[in-house]
Amino acid sequence: MADVRFGKLAESVVSLALPFVVAALVAGVLLLAIGENPLAIFGLMAEESFGSARRIASTLSAATPLLFTATATAICFRSGVFNVGVEGAFLTGGLAAIFVGYAAPASLGVVLIPLAMLAGAVVGAIWLWFPGWLLARWQVDEVVSTLMLNFIAAALTGYLINGPMLSPASGNNVTPPIHDAAELVRLMPPSTLHAGFLIGLLVLTLYGLWCRYTPAGFEAALVGLNRRFSRAMGISVGGTVIAVMVLSGVIAGLGGASHGLGQLYRFSDGFSPGYGFTGMAVALLGRNNPLGMLIGAVFFGALASAGTTIQLFSNIPLDLVDIIQGLVMIFAVMQIALPRLRKGAAHV
Amino acid sequence: MQFTKKLAATALATVLALPAFANDAPVALIIAQGGLGDGSWNDTANAGFTAGLAKTGLEGRAIESNDVTAQGEEIMRRAADAGFGLVISLEWIHGEAMQKLAPDYPDTDWVIMNQTREGANIASVVFGEHEGSYLAGALAAQVTTDTSIPGINADPVIGVIGAVKAPGIDKFIAGYIEGAKAINPDITVKVAYAESFGDPAKGEQMAKSMFDEGADIIYHVAGGTGIGIIKAAKDSGHYAIGVDTDQDAMAPGHVLTSMVKRVDVAVEQILTDYKDDKFPGGTVMQFGLAQDGVGLSPMTYTKDLIPPAYLEKVAALKADIIDGKIKVWDVSTQGYPDFFK
Repeated sequence: MADVRFGKLAESVVSLALPFVVAALVAGVLLLAIGENPLAIFGLMAEESFGSARRIASTLSAATPLLFTATATAICFRSGVFNVGVEGAFLTGGLAAIFVGYAAPASLGVVLIPLAMLAGAVVGAIWLWFPGWLLARWQVDEVVSTLMLNFIAAALTGYLINGPMLSPASGNNVTPPIHDAAELVRLMPPSTLHAGFLIGLLVLTLYGLWCRYTPAGFEAALVGLNRRFSRAMGISVGGTVIAVMVLSGVIAGLGGASHGLGQLYRFSDGFSPGYGFTGMAVALLGRNNPLGMLIGAVFFGALASAGTTIQLFSNIPLDLVDIIQGLVMIFAVMQIALPRLRKGAAHV
Repeated sequence: MQFTKKLAATALATVLALPAFANDAPVALIIAQGGLGDGSWNDTANAGFTAGLAKTGLEGRAIESNDVTAQGEEIMRRAADAGFGLVISLEWIHGEAMQKLAPDYPDTDWVIMNQTREGANIASVVFGEHEGSYLAGALAAQVTTDTSIPGINADPVIGVIGAVKAPGIDKFIAGYIEGAKAINPDITVKVAYAESFGDPAKGEQMAKSMFDEGADIIYHVAGGTGIGIIKAAKDSGHYAIGVDTDQDAMAPGHVLTSMVKRVDVAVEQILTDYKDDKFPGGTVMQFGLAQDGVGLSPMTYTKDLIPPAYLEKVAALKADIIDGKIKVWDVSTQGYPDFFK
């Protein structure tokens, strides 16, 4: 029994690490090709990611939005709902929270924070409820609908910060800044690591508990494994689909709220550089497992943070980091496919 | 006598030794959203950065990030912690963070663009877009009634399309109107806003209807939306005026001129000042016509279309602005003028 467990653990460690190892090998060859010493560059990256408390804080700060977007993605993926609309819910939820953060009276004080988080969660929930309902009621393909909603979210937030929510005090398209009282506290000043990281960890933990210990979480997993069987068991597949989409929206909206209240303090162009999509890669890499996703998010956070600051000390262009990130994503997805193929072969 | 000589020699040595006090710490340039290769703001600034490094012999690096909005503060702090002596950010959104963190790093010099930030070690770079736009307006007002130029009607009507109604945009527009009225007080300047920086289709549509209403030259202050405005000028045989960078080549012969912001000049100047230990911390650096920070493009494709007398008039106005004989209205510091509410 213990051996089986250990074997399983070893397998998940390998499956988590393998994409990084392969990506590192390919990146190493590329570095050699452009005349750089791969070991020196990787050493520099490791140091810039985890070399000191400040660098770790910077990495965790970059990982924070990914905790939310990965969890929001995973909660749908494990039910077989291929929701790619987390990005849209992150944007709309983030803007909703920021709107409350600057438009509600400053006299509300710290009450602004839960109020703004709530606004983000509600808007995110509504944002993803719609494609969930379309899927459950009309079998509208969720990949298409959620992808389209991402474009709508980008256009809608772009319009709002350019028009009705434009800060009167600036020539750039940004909202006014949120009130001081609405800002999430920083955990390790002067690092930008903020309380949103703890909220992200809490969300990730709750997700893990929900999956493991609640009937609803179990039913949601069953729906992912076999819809016909679930239906035969009396589980409402449509209800589950809508439920996981709404939960995904809540988590993504909270993520946007945390990013707005903790990191940027206002909404601007470039509010999300694609956290929704990186979160998807993290969910795939971590196989929807909370611990796996935590590690994946920290790794991608490290790549984003160190990938930028190594440019201060080397001539490595940002493109290299993009290549590593892309390779990790490809191999993460390949790994998901491979065991299925193996399983398929075993049945034959 | 000997003593005097000695004294003179010491004084001379002191003067010669001064460069030893100059700054040698490396410099960093943080690239804004859009990244290198945007053919515009970032690339222009980076060209000035590279030229400045070559001129001063300083060591420097350009820093790009996929998430430049959120990572700005971490990048700036990391650069200062790592011993960089000068950090220039091209990203507008970094202004607030820079103002907050600069006091923690008194030995580092900081530069932010297109806004004014306070701090003894921060220099704010502001461009005189109103002055450059004044010249664009003056040129357009002369051309718009000259039917000998193809695509021009006799009506004294010109246009301008801004991205959004905001002081940062209206600074251009007010300057343009003032310049046009300096040539012809009765000119009609049609003003419209696209409500977007990145909607070429809308820009094209708006420009077309403005051309239909009798305008023959439209100045765009609309970022990516302006691409559509330039396209409309080309398709209808009229003229657009480009902005920020030399956009004349986007539709050769149909971009009358471009009002260019020489961020490269600004960056190079800052590097030189820094190297010579003359960093203008705590000040607002104006890059207007006098500093060659703004101006009209060389008009590579249109200078033969435009009668030389018009260009001479523009050159004379430019000289008057530099001499201070003409003071162009600046919406960003003076609010809105009577001629443009």
